[in-house]
Amino acid sequence: MAVDITLLFRASVKTVKTRNKALGVAVGGGVEGSRDELFRRSPRPKGDFSSRAREVISHIGKLRDFLLEHRKDYINAYSHVMSEYGRMTDTERDQIDQDAQTFMRTCSEAIQQLRTQAHKEIHSQQVKEHRSAVLDFIEDYLKRVCKLYSEQRAIRVKRVVDKKRLSKLEPEPNTKTRQSMSSEKVSQNPSKDSEERPVTEEFPEKIPAEAQPELGTWGDGKGEDELSPEEIQMFEQENQRLIGEMNSLFDEVRQIEGKVVEISRLQEIFTEKVLQQEAEIDSIHQLVVGATENIKEGNEDIRESPRLK
Amino acid sequence: MIGLRSPAGQCMVGAKMAAAAAASIRERQTVALKRMLNFNVPHIKNSTGEPVWKVLIYDRFGQDIISPLLSVKELRDMGITLHLLLHSDRDPIPDVPAVYFVMPTEENIDRMCQDLRNQLYESYYLNFISAISRSKLEDIANAALAASAVTQVAKVFDQYLNFITLEDDMFVLCNQNKELVSYRAINRPDITDTEMETVMDTIVDSLFCFFVTLGAVPIIRCSRGTAAEMVAVKLDKKLRENLRDARNSLFTGDTLGAGQFSFQRPLLVLVDRNIDLATPLHHTWTYQALVHDVLDFHLNRVNLEESSGVENSPAGARPKRKNKKSYDLTPVDKFWQKHKGSPFPEVAESVQQELESYRAQEDEVKRLKSIMGLEGEDEGAISMLSDNTAKLTSAVSSLPELLEKKRLIDLHTNVATAVLEHIKARKLDVYFEYEEKIMSKTTLDKSLLDIISDPDAGTPEDKMRLFLIYYISAQQAPSEADLEQYKKALTDAGCNLNPLQYIKQWKAFAKMASAPTSYGNTTTKPMGLLSRVMNTGSQFVMEGVKNLVLKQQNLPVTRILDNLMEMKSNPETDDYRYFDPKMLRGNDSSVPRNKNPFQEAIVFVVGGGNYIEYQNLIDYIKGKQGKHILYGCSELFNATQFIKQLSQLGQK
Repeated sequence: MAVDITLLFRASVKTVKTRNKALGVAVGGGVEGSRDELFRRSPRPKGDFSSRAREVISHIGKLRDFLLEHRKDYINAYSHVMSEYGRMTDTERDQIDQDAQTFMRTCSEAIQQLRTQAHKEIHSQQVKEHRSAVLDFIEDYLKRVCKLYSEQRAIRVKRVVDKKRLSKLEPEPNTKTRQSMSSEKVSQNPSKDSEERPVTEEFPEKIPAEAQPELGTWGDGKGEDELSPEEIQMFEQENQRLIGEMNSLFDEVRQIEGKVVEISRLQEIFTEKVLQQEAEIDSIHQLVVGATENIKEGNEDIRESPRLK
Repeated sequence: MIGLRSPAGQCMVGAKMAAAAAASIRERQTVALKRMLNFNVPHIKNSTGEPVWKVLIYDRFGQDIISPLLSVKELRDMGITLHLLLHSDRDPIPDVPAVYFVMPTEENIDRMCQDLRNQLYESYYLNFISAISRSKLEDIANAALAASAVTQVAKVFDQYLNFITLEDDMFVLCNQNKELVSYRAINRPDITDTEMETVMDTIVDSLFCFFVTLGAVPIIRCSRGTAAEMVAVKLDKKLRENLRDARNSLFTGDTLGAGQFSFQRPLLVLVDRNIDLATPLHHTWTYQALVHDVLDFHLNRVNLEESSGVENSPAGARPKRKNKKSYDLTPVDKFWQKHKGSPFPEVAESVQQELESYRAQEDEVKRLKSIMGLEGEDEGAISMLSDNTAKLTSAVSSLPELLEKKRLIDLHTNVATAVLEHIKARKLDVYFEYEEKIMSKTTLDKSLLDIISDPDAGTPEDKMRLFLIYYISAQQAPSEADLEQYKKALTDAGCNLNPLQYIKQWKAFAKMASAPTSYGNTTTKPMGLLSRVMNTGSQFVMEGVKNLVLKQQNLPVTRILDNLMEMKSNPETDDYRYFDPKMLRGNDSSVPRNKNPFQEAIVFVVGGGNYIEYQNLIDYIKGKQGKHILYGCSELFNATQFIKQLSQLGQK
């Protein structure tokens, strides 16, 4: 366990001071000493390197605080369902994304600048190493904060993709089926995360509303509860198409299954053959080894025979 | 403070706490270092914390302590941009705090004062490896005043970390000044009292730091009439003084931390190297001990000289270039942790197995690549895409793991190959088997003279080792005529006979003191010349190398520990002295107060130790549930270094 002897040190300083005074040694004690210290401090090259480095760090810190502050709202999926207070529209989200990106770019540019400048100025090897390490730390910090951003953005994108997927596979969107569908969903997966349910419930409403900026093919996004007959028809057509696709997929899968079974059979036969060959190769190997031996002995005999003659 | 005695009915809580707090001394030292590096504030990982940077200045002692525990990357993670030796040329770096980790010696203090005067850094955090004296502290204060830098000295700490931890449960006192506390230094005939005092003080200081870091006050037992006894007396005194000083005691509740040894105290067994001189000379068969014996290995780093390739160079071609490679054998190296105590053939097999499983995994990944190429075209099948992406992500995330595995396999292949070459060249398996037989007093199938005169088997040093082991373990010294014969054979083989001189003296002295130690009676069984390894045609072709199986036998040190820990009565250990620093009455009684077996023990060998003993202790304690052992020694030497010391001693 480490022992803090800083107080002891300060006490020693006092002791030394008084001792020096007593001995009449004027060594930086008293008022002049502290003034000296102040003076000595100011002309010390504080280095704009470190002050600028700290600036960049504080910027990144601000970005991180900003992201963390709005993170909850950003990720919140039901912001359209909840009250005004916690809501965040997509435009706001986009704005956050935009701002965050520009911020990150400026920060990384600042780091680059610092780096080139640090290299240009003539300094000792140690200072150079130290500075590049400091810049590495700052970059790492920026990366970590960017991860925050990219994580929440990934969640958002994933949710959009999921919605897109559901929107393609969902059947009749008229009110009757909507209710039955939602009740179906409720009965089918009561344990599923509640996220899905509200999403699919408001689904038909969302489709016209959200679909417009996302999919952009669904006519004038009215955001009403009812669906116009054209839309119903379009959904029906889509439906038919999807059924047809499903069937063909199903057939393909069947075929593939059959092929896979055949392949596995062939593989079995193949392995059998290989194993048979293994036995034969072993015996060949033995023979070859025996043959080599024989040849060796033969050579020996041949070599000896002239001597015997 | 009344000594805490554990009640007869040991409560489970105490036992659990002791087991949970089972000191991994490595962890404790690492935590202490990290706190020091974090400006002496406990270190908490914060993923979005602002970076803080600092430079680390250490002396050679500090370097030896830090290097087995923290890698350069870990230092970086703690915010250290530069790490420099104290006595090197250092340039002023503006606006950065500096953390010092040095021993409080004269030169170091002078250099630190110089740094203060030259205003090298922004602020100074001074950490002394062992406690600094008041006068030296005043020297620094003086320099700080002169340089008007008093406010820059932010913190001063005594770290009490004056020991080197190599494994979770193994520590060494020092590396830099090992000559000071070496076996030779302690045992040379011309040592003066003051020199002995200095050596003992150094050892005790480190042991004291060790117990402060461990956070426990041990019960000390030692043999009589040895250097170990001197250490025990001094250590007891130091601990006692510290405990009495209520203001500054280092062992009070708040410094101990949670879950400490409140019910159980550890046992410290101090033994002297002289009770067993055969083990340091022994040829060995386990991986870690072999690496230490045969290769250049210290502070967990092994240095290999690799020859580039095995092609036969045609006559007249330029000689093969030798690359020097060094590897760190660290706790994250899973293969090392698993196999460092295994017999060597097992290690060779395991490397093969690892290589095969790695290749299988590699093929998996490659197959995935080709699968990916065929699918992923169907835009309607988003689900299939996400399935493939799942496969991809798992493959990508397992890639770093695979690469790490490959690196470890390469590392161990190289190390094991190097070891194997030595084994084959010097016929170390033959020596090992023979020595085991000698030490366990079974009949020998080959005469000693034969092995010594055999020009193929081993270096002169190997032969000397073998003969010394024979001489040490013999119940009666060989007759003069025999001895002359052996001497002649040894000299013919090129050995230096000085170590023998010393061993003769030692033996005479040891005979007077007590009966010669026995090594137990077990055997090693050779498992046939053709191992499975050879059949699979691996690169570890161990043809002609016996696949020997180690049988568990207890070395003398392990036996002593067993007796003391389990409170067994044994003539060997019955008259060991007993010290309890926490007892009010400060004297030794040979009657131990504590009748219960100990759960934790620390074995410390004064005069040097080695990996064979360490491994033996580990094997012994593996069988016992809930018990832990720590092994320490004043220095760590392999047989080569030990023979050198013996030879120097024999010259006098």
